[in-house]
Amino acid sequence: MTDARLLRDTFSAIGILIDEATFNLTPENINLRAMDPSRVAMVDFFWPKTVFDEAAEGTGFQYECDQPQKICVNLTELLKLLRRTSKEEAVEMSLNPETQRLQISITGKYNRVFNMPTLEPQEEEVPTPKITFKVQAKVTAYGLRQVIEDAQLVSDHVRIEADTEKLVLNATGDLMGATIELKKGSDALLELQTQEPSKATYSLSYLSEIIKAASATSEIATLEFANDMPIRIDFQQPKEGKLTYYLAPRIEVE
Amino acid sequence: MLGVRKAWVLYTPEINEETKTLIEQSLAQRRMLLLIGKCRVEYQGRATSRLDAGDRLIIVKQDHSLLVHRPIGHEAVNWQLSGCVFRVSIEEGALVVTSIHQRPHELVKICFDQLHLAVILNLKDQAEFTLHATEEDMQKAILLEPSILEDGFTPVSYEKKVEPGFVDIYGVDSEGRFAVVEIKRKAAGRNAVLQLSRYVKTLREGANREVRGILAAPEIAKGCQRLLESLKLSFKPLNPQKCASILQRTKTLSLTDFLETHQ
Repeated sequence: MTDARLLRDTFSAIGILIDEATFNLTPENINLRAMDPSRVAMVDFFWPKTVFDEAAEGTGFQYECDQPQKICVNLTELLKLLRRTSKEEAVEMSLNPETQRLQISITGKYNRVFNMPTLEPQEEEVPTPKITFKVQAKVTAYGLRQVIEDAQLVSDHVRIEADTEKLVLNATGDLMGATIELKKGSDALLELQTQEPSKATYSLSYLSEIIKAASATSEIATLEFANDMPIRIDFQQPKEGKLTYYLAPRIEVE
Repeated sequence: MLGVRKAWVLYTPEINEETKTLIEQSLAQRRMLLLIGKCRVEYQGRATSRLDAGDRLIIVKQDHSLLVHRPIGHEAVNWQLSGCVFRVSIEEGALVVTSIHQRPHELVKICFDQLHLAVILNLKDQAEFTLHATEEDMQKAILLEPSILEDGFTPVSYEKKVEPGFVDIYGVDSEGRFAVVEIKRKAAGRNAVLQLSRYVKTLREGANREVRGILAAPEIAKGCQRLLESLKLSFKPLNPQKCASILQRTKTLSLTDFLETHQ
């Protein structure tokens, strides 16, 4: 936990949906909310300063920001640099206010300093979807990943259904089908609260990419959905950190 | 700043710092940029190319893809995929736009000796592009809803290897007979009928039950009906539009649909 991996994994998880990321930096926290270019999925990320403090107890990093500002970077490029970090190495990122270039110092076995340009920040503020969810399910991130991998064997989309006792995933492909059942109290399903039985269908390519990347940052995920409504997937983060995704449903049109 | 204006048009702009700044702003703000002028173009990447001076239209789209068009021909002479990074400079009196694509690493350098026209546009276009079904889509539609082919038809496999090639769909009909389906997007002709009959022949040799051949197409070409009957094959009219509508019955919504309308 005390090395740069959390930073790398979290940024990778954001990079699944967006290439150019506009982060809001304030003295207290760093956050980002953005939709992918097709506007099917959204990522909502929030790290209070304390996430950094905890990490800093080891060999990790600190966070300092004297005034609120926005910074936009190409995540694909930044991640190439962050992937160069190995275990127990510290990363320091700082913005040069004159050149508007981001400096990334990685210190460990040896020291290196990268720099990269920043981009014009997106001014558009993305609101969060307002949805009344009818089902809330707490699952292990590992279990969720397995379930999605199972469904992906047969189809490119999956119907998720819940009643008060179980969560069922149904995938129907051209030739094969799959039914995956998670009963209340099973190892993968930690909690299930169903106000009314619900079902909705989602794209497996989005689900699997999101879950694969985000499960590296978290052990526990909370799913929330309702009939033909977007699904909200929240990956529990250290301290008051937040990494949440929304994914629009697929619906039948006549 | 360019502000919210939809279009900026500059006639015969001079090559100077002011023009350079405007082009840089257009790129930074992801506008669509058209530059028309006398230019030289160099490309380095998977290959290298050089184009001497001539009048051309350069388009930088809002996703930072690049097209270099000459006055004739429908294809761009140089082009780059989206996600390029641009650098604008003035070198020896020429306006130089360099476009760099990271992976694969490719570089296009355009030197304008003269600019005839520059247009900066802020365009919005979120409409969906629909195309009537391809043969592959028709195949998917049958797999998704086999009854459009025939009541009681159950697909078993698709793209199955059967000499002399691959059959589109292979299944069992309501009476338990094997059925091979050949799909055509346009009127099925003599070749399609013969192709299907070869598959049926191969399968009949290896099967211990009856094998049917079904040709699914919008129509059958004149004179082929008799051939089809003599080979004991059947024809099922199926048009690509109907298949497309089956495939479109499920669609992914946009998250923006949920931002304001739902409480």
